[in-house]
Amino acid sequence: MSDEAKSSMNDGVPLEPQASANTGQPQPSALTANTPVQAEAGGRRDASPALVISGLTIRHGERVVLEDVSLSAAMGQVTALIGPNGAGKSTLINAALGLLPCDHGSVHLLGQDLLRLDRRARARLVGYVPQRSRLSAPLPVREVVALGRYALGGSFGGVLGATRRAVDEALAAVDATPLAERRFNELSAGEAQRVLVARALAGGARTLLLDEPTAALDIGHALSLLALLRRLAANGCTVLVALHQLDEVRRVADHAVLLHHGRVATSGAPETVMTSPQLTAAFGVETDPAGALAFRLSTPRSSPVEPR
Amino acid sequence: MRALLVWSSLVVVLGVVAVLGLSIGRGELSGQNGAVFLELRAWRIAAAALAGAALGMGGVLMQGLFRNPLASPDLLGTTAFALLGGQIVLVLVVLAGASLPMWLPAELLLPIGCLIGAAGALVGLLWLAERASGLTTVLVVGFLLAALGSSAGTLLTSLCRDQWELMRALQGLSLGGVDGTGPAQLALGAPLVLIAGMCAWGWGRALDVLLSGETEAAALGVDVALVRRWALIWTATLTAAAVALGGAAVFVGLIVPHVMRNLVGVTHRRLIPASALGGAVFLVACDNLARALPTTGELPLGVVTGLIGAPLFIVVLLRSRQELA
Repeated sequence: MSDEAKSSMNDGVPLEPQASANTGQPQPSALTANTPVQAEAGGRRDASPALVISGLTIRHGERVVLEDVSLSAAMGQVTALIGPNGAGKSTLINAALGLLPCDHGSVHLLGQDLLRLDRRARARLVGYVPQRSRLSAPLPVREVVALGRYALGGSFGGVLGATRRAVDEALAAVDATPLAERRFNELSAGEAQRVLVARALAGGARTLLLDEPTAALDIGHALSLLALLRRLAANGCTVLVALHQLDEVRRVADHAVLLHHGRVATSGAPETVMTSPQLTAAFGVETDPAGALAFRLSTPRSSPVEPR
Repeated sequence: MRALLVWSSLVVVLGVVAVLGLSIGRGELSGQNGAVFLELRAWRIAAAALAGAALGMGGVLMQGLFRNPLASPDLLGTTAFALLGGQIVLVLVVLAGASLPMWLPAELLLPIGCLIGAAGALVGLLWLAERASGLTTVLVVGFLLAALGSSAGTLLTSLCRDQWELMRALQGLSLGGVDGTGPAQLALGAPLVLIAGMCAWGWGRALDVLLSGETEAAALGVDVALVRRWALIWTATLTAAAVALGGAAVFVGLIVPHVMRNLVGVTHRRLIPASALGGAVFLVACDNLARALPTTGELPLGVVTGLIGAPLFIVVLLRSRQELA
């Protein structure tokens, strides 16, 4: 994919000023920084690593699920995690979130050892977006996003002013403000994923781990979610996203990591990884320069949220 | 705002059904023993209100614990095992007879037996739920536990056929009823219900987050195992207190949270108080009905809640198909 195409994915509503997660006072944060929206992946490849996973090994009984996996995700970049089914992508994301016991290895975020932090402190730093939420209760979107602030210890949900502001800002950041009063179980899959990104942002986390967030989405909603990820990265977020569709990796990622049989097979610029022999070995496919699919959003969507 | 309105309306309705309850039943209030009748009725109304509140909150907790709106203490066997625990204690008390120390009255032992039974059933169910592949399995296992508990209770009752008084007590417990509940049971039951209810309310935010499933909840900072353990303890306590106070009143824990969810939403901090009040209103009203119906004897409370609860639940179920889908 061309850089112009990648750049066009940043179109959309500018992010709103973000309140501090702890005080509710507006202060400069990753989302407010006046970062010019530049998505050209090449321009950011020298960014310093924010999330560093090193030597991660996980065994389930005798079976080694991840072996000596090391990778890093830089601030302001989208790092894509790819690999065939069962390669260990979801396990790696869950392990980085501290949800799985690791046999070896460490996960550091900006120098802090994530695996040694208590779960609330970790949740304040890292947001998680699943492939599809298991939340099926008729909870209003506003309250779903407020759940993202659980780790801050606010007991009164969406009642307090600071929470209300943070929820509004998180919804605005993902262009989901019109959804605020709707019920979560009545949203389309694409809308629901946006709300889950808002929930991950509402607690103040600026590092997002997403586990195949586009797997259940049609191409329009998938592209629009990827555009959102690019915009969040351009505004200073660290994004590590497991992706299933290789086409999406070329659209969205600044950096790609290929997992195969629980190990890092190769990593680097998406173009390099996509044409690598390791990718052919992992998936049994190779890129076809003439037949590559190249869809893009037909018009920059001002709001990907459909009116009811 | 809406929750406040619902809560205060329920308090008013509870007051109305309670006052109504004071005037219903056998025995003339204006007669010689009027004051005694009034006192007896006040005790049973208080017992019904507490048991109803406990069952309502227990239902909310179980539905949160299993992330399933069809979970409830009576459907999943918790009530049956609480009853069984209570019945075993009654039998043991009779067997012990005079050798039971004076400081250990049966009123105190009954809730303990109920608590052990309820906790045992819940621990077993959760253990299976963590290993079962789907919620359907959990529900089926719950139904089986309920059948097992009530069969064992019936077996125990039939073994005591030669002891008429004991058999009646065992049957009374399983049919449910707040007649004859006195200050001793209330003094024990009220703190249990209040403490368990308040603690459950305190865990409300975590229970809200847990609606998203374990992985998401853990990623959002919830100690899932801890919350589940405490929710289990409070559910067992509430079910045991309800059974000890009013025997098995079926359907309260299922239907009350359903109705309340439609009124105040699914947020636990709103739902728990609403279900407590709703359960109290429902059980006091059912007890009033049990006394008001022109039958030869008083109808057992469990029979009334079953007769009203089952059809009502079918109506609610049909109206909230979307929620269950």
